[in-house]
Amino acid sequence: MHPAVYKVGLQYLSGDISGGNARCIAMLQAFQEVVKDYSTPPEKTLNRNMAAKISSYVSFLRDCRPLSVSMENAIRFVKNRIAKLPITLSESEAKAALKSDIARFINEKIIGADTVIVKHAVTKIRDGDVLLTYGSPTAVEMVLLHAHELGKKFRVLVVDSRPKLQGQLLLRRLIKRGINCAYTHINAISYIMHQVTKVFLGASSVFSNGTVYSRVGTACVAMVATAFRVPVLVCCEAYKFHERVLLDYSICSSNELGDPNAISKVHGREDINYFDGLTNNANLKFLNLMYDATPSDYISMIITDYGMVPPTSVPVIVRECQKEHNCFESPKIVI
Amino acid sequence: MGAQKKGGGARVSEDAVEQSRQRLQAILLADSFATKFRPVTLERPKVLLPIVNVPMIDYTLAWLESAGIEEVFVFCCAHSMQVIEYLEKSEWYSHPNLLVRTIESHKSISAGDALRYMYEQQTETSQIQGDFVLVSGDTVSNMPLADLIKEHRERKKKDEKAIMTMVIKQSKSSPLTHQSRLGTDQLFIAVDPLTKQLLHYEEDKVDHPSGSVCLEKSLLDTNPSVLVCNDMQDCYIDICSPEVLSLFEDNFDYQHLRRHFVKGVLVDDIMGYKIFTHEIHSSYAGRIDNFRSYDTVSKDIIQRWTYPYVPDINFSGNRPLKLGRQGIYRASDVVQSRSADVGASTVIGYGTKIGNGDKISNSVIGNGCSIGSNVVIEGSYIWNNVTIEDGCEIRNAIVCDGVKIRAGAVLQPGVVLSFNVVVGRDFVVPAYSKVSLLQQPTTEDSDEELEYADSSSGTADHLSGLNLQMESKASELGPDGAGYIWEACEGAHDEEWKHSVAPIPKDKLFEITQAIDDDDTDDESVVPTSGELKSDADSINTDVNDPNDDYYYFEKEVEGTVLRAVEENIKVDLVTLEINGLRLSYNMESADCAGATFYSMIKLAVDTPHNSASELYKNAASIITKWKELLGFYVKKIDEQIEVIMKFEEMCQESPKELGPLFTQILHLLYDKDVLQEDAVLRWAEEKAGADEADKVYLKQCETFIQWLKEASEEEDEDDEDEEDD
Repeated sequence: MHPAVYKVGLQYLSGDISGGNARCIAMLQAFQEVVKDYSTPPEKTLNRNMAAKISSYVSFLRDCRPLSVSMENAIRFVKNRIAKLPITLSESEAKAALKSDIARFINEKIIGADTVIVKHAVTKIRDGDVLLTYGSPTAVEMVLLHAHELGKKFRVLVVDSRPKLQGQLLLRRLIKRGINCAYTHINAISYIMHQVTKVFLGASSVFSNGTVYSRVGTACVAMVATAFRVPVLVCCEAYKFHERVLLDYSICSSNELGDPNAISKVHGREDINYFDGLTNNANLKFLNLMYDATPSDYISMIITDYGMVPPTSVPVIVRECQKEHNCFESPKIVI
Repeated sequence: MGAQKKGGGARVSEDAVEQSRQRLQAILLADSFATKFRPVTLERPKVLLPIVNVPMIDYTLAWLESAGIEEVFVFCCAHSMQVIEYLEKSEWYSHPNLLVRTIESHKSISAGDALRYMYEQQTETSQIQGDFVLVSGDTVSNMPLADLIKEHRERKKKDEKAIMTMVIKQSKSSPLTHQSRLGTDQLFIAVDPLTKQLLHYEEDKVDHPSGSVCLEKSLLDTNPSVLVCNDMQDCYIDICSPEVLSLFEDNFDYQHLRRHFVKGVLVDDIMGYKIFTHEIHSSYAGRIDNFRSYDTVSKDIIQRWTYPYVPDINFSGNRPLKLGRQGIYRASDVVQSRSADVGASTVIGYGTKIGNGDKISNSVIGNGCSIGSNVVIEGSYIWNNVTIEDGCEIRNAIVCDGVKIRAGAVLQPGVVLSFNVVVGRDFVVPAYSKVSLLQQPTTEDSDEELEYADSSSGTADHLSGLNLQMESKASELGPDGAGYIWEACEGAHDEEWKHSVAPIPKDKLFEITQAIDDDDTDDESVVPTSGELKSDADSINTDVNDPNDDYYYFEKEVEGTVLRAVEENIKVDLVTLEINGLRLSYNMESADCAGATFYSMIKLAVDTPHNSASELYKNAASIITKWKELLGFYVKKIDEQIEVIMKFEEMCQESPKELGPLFTQILHLLYDKDVLQEDAVLRWAEEKAGADEADKVYLKQCETFIQWLKEASEEEDEDDEDEEDD
């Protein structure tokens, strides 16, 4: 086991690294380390051996925490690159090429994509807007901060939910920059939706039928917003798109389950234990879902690095992505 | 068996009887004994000032009532009539669960005085029966007290010395401004994490700009662990045992509850009394100590941290307002123009009219106000019956009852307008100015008094003079205005921004950050605060740990003693005894006594009227001759004698004209009178030989004398040798 991968795996496990982009970047950087320290064992080819190694690391990471779609995409990209490495390259050349490919993925598909998303999304924020966001999506945070820098006058409602309360982190960062915020829990969503003019959400991934797979509670927010005729904008980088089709009810099979204790106890308050004596009862189960799926009906627009598209156009982007993947690879073959 | 059971039962019921007999009592100080709210408090007592349109005292009383307190003693001092009148009119006097009694005293100028007065009354009427809650009338809280009192009583049962439980609350103090959210100074406390006993209490002035705190080493000896925090806020809510009152009686110099009483108890280990702390987490407690805390607590009330004491609930006979979205509280009969923009976190009282195009946000507007068109009000507190004409701009200001602001006037941040002031047309009231119809008291009280004294003497006169002053309409606020702009008191000027309702200006924050950076680069500089430090040193410094200070006081005491001795012709023995007593109490060396005694004698000589140097010499000679025994008592060792010479030199340097020329003569005199031995003089000369030229003035002056001494001693030596030879 490579130490860098081991470290990242443990960080996933402990929750030190969370959020789709952060997890993906951490994994890719660990792979870069792996490539750097790699040397082909005698009588083996680099392509096959390294691919096998990466596979074993991926299964370790999966054991630590189920992988997100974005990470699967990234892994597929890396494996693809390894498989397509020309055999003629020497080991050091191959390693260098691989490392630069991974770095390019990080810069273009994740970091670069975010800046493009920010550029697009800011045009949708007007003076006097009341924006609602749920949880702590990084892309949305960047959008809000940039809009504030541009001097737009708006208020932000941060909606949060137990047990993770990630919204508090976002709230702190926004307040620090002097953005006017309000904070509430998702229970109050129908009350506060009256005053909201736009809802900005993040996504863990978007499937080709336009379903948005995101932090649990997102579907609820989107549905309430739709009921109040408030536009719902989802900020999502294109590398998180997936050609799979997800229907609402199949979700539990692929969903990630969190620690059931997290919802039965109140964090930081040992004295509060509502389920005292009930935790081992056979008739009681705690369900701590991590994600949910929002049907495309409840989403007005998806903002990606390819521009702002309606959810029905997701397949086009998936196709474009795939095409680009192939183009991305072709030049080297030509050389 | 049966009997035993019965006995047990009886005991329980007895206990219960005892518990019930002990009514839960509270003392509410309806006077802050401070001048932070001047000029407003010149006309109305602080506890009656409205916070979010309800007088402060109502919040305190409502809280005490709901917390299960059965009897409250309201201690009135300044404007006691107004407080009593208000309470009589309000429903508190006839409240079924809460017995409100007022105690009036005009002589008390501090919380200490108030409690002493209570104690005196106590001996006559024994009103306070057991543990009581001590709060001031400007506390806004919703914390439950019953459990805390129980906790206190149980602790008291176990440990007789646990006399007080102090309530603290977490509140991050800003690292930039060294003050807490409520505008008070940073507070350092040390607590035993297990027993919660308070070990150290220090309100940080500017003394430690780097945020350092000194703890006594002995704390660590006696306690296994000490928790030091500076993110706590003292809520000034104390559960006290009756001993507290008697402690105040015993220590007649205790004035301030914290600075004197708590510190005194912590320092004094003879009685061994202990203070404990209780930290509250989820409930609210805040004290309105200055304008900034007024602002902060108001916002907390609007944002409902103080629930159930919020504007839309009737908790004390106030008329509840309606709560709308974004924290806008509005009375039902408000007349508001359609074009007016009322923003978040705003309270608008009954009978108020809001005109066209007004912009109001983050503000509290009282009852019966009328606001013209196109007025901008931001972060301000407008009390009752205020008239604001068209086009005014009001930012972060406090505007008291009956004020008129004429068209186009501008109030800059931090302005306080006291009652019935009139601001003239298009007049711009400069930032942080305080305006009142009353003139600023010209007789500047000394610092000490300013802290505590208010009003009891001054106010009545002021009020009687009010009409006169009204007639001689002051026009400091434009041609059609009325009111005096108060000068900021000296030294307090820099502090103005710290305590005002206005947010801390950016440049100040920048300055402070800069200063901190400077501090980081070189340790010694205290650039931004040096001025204040000096003024502190000038005024009486209460820090008893400073050795220099100690010596200063000691010297003063000795001087007084010697003066009295000379005047009353007291025997030398007795004077020695007295000085010895002082020496022990100030923990001084015998050499210090010698220095101080000599200093006082020479000072006496200088102070006695004289016309010429020779006359002065005569004076000095006579005093020294007369009291040489006293001096002789302390100058038995060479070191002590050298100390005397050094002291004398120091005095000469301070008054070179008078004493300078006499240095040699008096030195000679001291030698003649056997106060000083020649060894001492010679050693002093040796020590001085290496000093700077400037320091050598007096050495040079008495060169011949020293020469003579040297020769004499050599001769003596020779004689000795000769004798030995024989």
